[in-house]
Amino acid sequence: MKQLTPHELEQFLSHLAVRYELRLPILLADGTRTIGSPDDGSVVLHGGAVPGKPTAAFFPQQDTIFTASQGTFSQTLPPVKPLCILGFTPADLHCLRFIDRFFGDGMRDDLYFRLRQGAVVAGITGYCGVRGALLPPAGGNCDFELFWSGENWLVRAYGATGAELVAELPNQATPKEEELFTQALATAPDSGAILLQTASQLLRTNRVPDSFWEEIGERCIACTGCNVTCPTCTCFGVLDWRSATKVERSRTWDSCQLDGFMREASGHNPLGSAALRSRRRIHHKLAADPLKWGEISCFRCGRCDATCPTGIGIMAVAQELVARFG
Amino acid sequence: MRDTTPCNSLYIPFDCEITAITDLTPREKLFRLIRSDGTPLGHLPGQFVQLSLLGWGEAPLSIASSPTREGYFELGVRQAGQLTTALHRMKVGETVGVRGPFGRPFDLEALNGEDVLLISGGCGLAPLRSLIQYCEDRPQQFGRVTILHGAKSPADTLFKEELARWEASAEFACHLTVDSATGNDCFTGNVGLITSLIPPLTITPHRTTAVIIGPPVMYRAVIAELKGKGLGSDRIVVSLERQMRCGVGKCGHCTIEHLYCCQDGPVFRLDEIEQLRGAL
Repeated sequence: MKQLTPHELEQFLSHLAVRYELRLPILLADGTRTIGSPDDGSVVLHGGAVPGKPTAAFFPQQDTIFTASQGTFSQTLPPVKPLCILGFTPADLHCLRFIDRFFGDGMRDDLYFRLRQGAVVAGITGYCGVRGALLPPAGGNCDFELFWSGENWLVRAYGATGAELVAELPNQATPKEEELFTQALATAPDSGAILLQTASQLLRTNRVPDSFWEEIGERCIACTGCNVTCPTCTCFGVLDWRSATKVERSRTWDSCQLDGFMREASGHNPLGSAALRSRRRIHHKLAADPLKWGEISCFRCGRCDATCPTGIGIMAVAQELVARFG
Repeated sequence: MRDTTPCNSLYIPFDCEITAITDLTPREKLFRLIRSDGTPLGHLPGQFVQLSLLGWGEAPLSIASSPTREGYFELGVRQAGQLTTALHRMKVGETVGVRGPFGRPFDLEALNGEDVLLISGGCGLAPLRSLIQYCEDRPQQFGRVTILHGAKSPADTLFKEELARWEASAEFACHLTVDSATGNDCFTGNVGLITSLIPPLTITPHRTTAVIIGPPVMYRAVIAELKGKGLGSDRIVVSLERQMRCGVGKCGHCTIEHLYCCQDGPVFRLDEIEQLRGAL
């Protein structure tokens, strides 16, 4: 494991920027952070998860599928330099691993991998969460992680690309700081994981009545904040933009909380009520995805709970569901 | 801003030329298409394509013709929204975009040697026609083929000439009904729901498979009748309509619990989906 002072990290990032298009948490004018180019704001690695969907780096809110002009299709090329994204929390890295599987399974989604292929992903962990809270080490799911010990950034590489990038760093971590990393790695998993597993089990054994979803549905104002911030929400719609000389077909994030999400041309709507849509949002992550992918697709990043104005983020709903039916 | 260049993608349609357009009803037309590069579509009965009109987007449409009718494929299209309205305005010789074929087709191997009961309601006859034509062209692969079709009214009945041919054919038993008819329709056939055609049938449950395609409201009632005739859920096949936006299992619009209708379906055996919320 290597070690960097904050100043050395700046130099390391400059070095990375030669080979990669760098994206990392930057401060916006409104005081919030987002993953963006260091040219667009000051870099702030401390503070925990950024509020927006971090996987937008590879699955942008709006992405051009193709441009058609005079009978010819053209597509956006991959970036000249591959992306290097810093700023994923351990939960975000699990989310990224999950959607890598999703977009790669069956018919491989070339739009996603146009950005994802060759990209370097780094986790930010350690005592740099909200007000210095510990973000447990990722222990994988990335090319390397930066672990803030309180004084230095410890750098641990995973895989060949990460090892190559980190190999050039001169300073080994001190045994004391390595011990700090090891201790943090042994931190017990949070109780949220058990809560979601219990909720998943209740849903999969049909022990949650429809009346529960009617209550949750009544509290949903269809703001779509849950889907828009969720790193594992991958639904999209397709829209054509017409101009005099060309047609641009793009895909844009969509939300299962909107009435028109599944409405068919015939008028039939399999998600025709707020209750059904609320159920779908939770059931999909906790019951459907475990059946299809073998794992719950919520990794407790906390964004939907932080965003939802009416308090029905997935953890809040799971808590209520387990309290009432568990 | 990144450069753009021509390249291959899952999402880029290929050109197809419209070679014939037939009015089926005032709201529905049949479009016959060929791939502009001359290659076959390569579909099987039960599959669908994403039809693409530049400027209007894409829509999932069932293929209405059998691959045994070589050299072309057909789509039966109801005018229901902007894209289908634009399509209905198109003329023979014009070009549309197509992606596909997508989805799980009918399991022709499982149907081999079976008596097949093909039941459609309304627009459901379009996708079922791909299988009916297949049965017509490969009769040796099937036992007794029975077609049941229900339409809202005589005027709403699709493929009238073909239905008449199937009614007259020695290969098929074919029974038709309409939900309602007025004196102005000069209609002399059955009036009643599609379910009314099932009780008179003689079915041998252990060698019969039923296929149902129709509006959502139709499935449960027809399934109940078929079960009353002794057919198990493993001998009932349905094809489900969903609003696929991509056709390749990514957009999320066609999920039925853990299944993706565009990839796991649209053809399902009933026992695969009857316990899934919102499937029927």
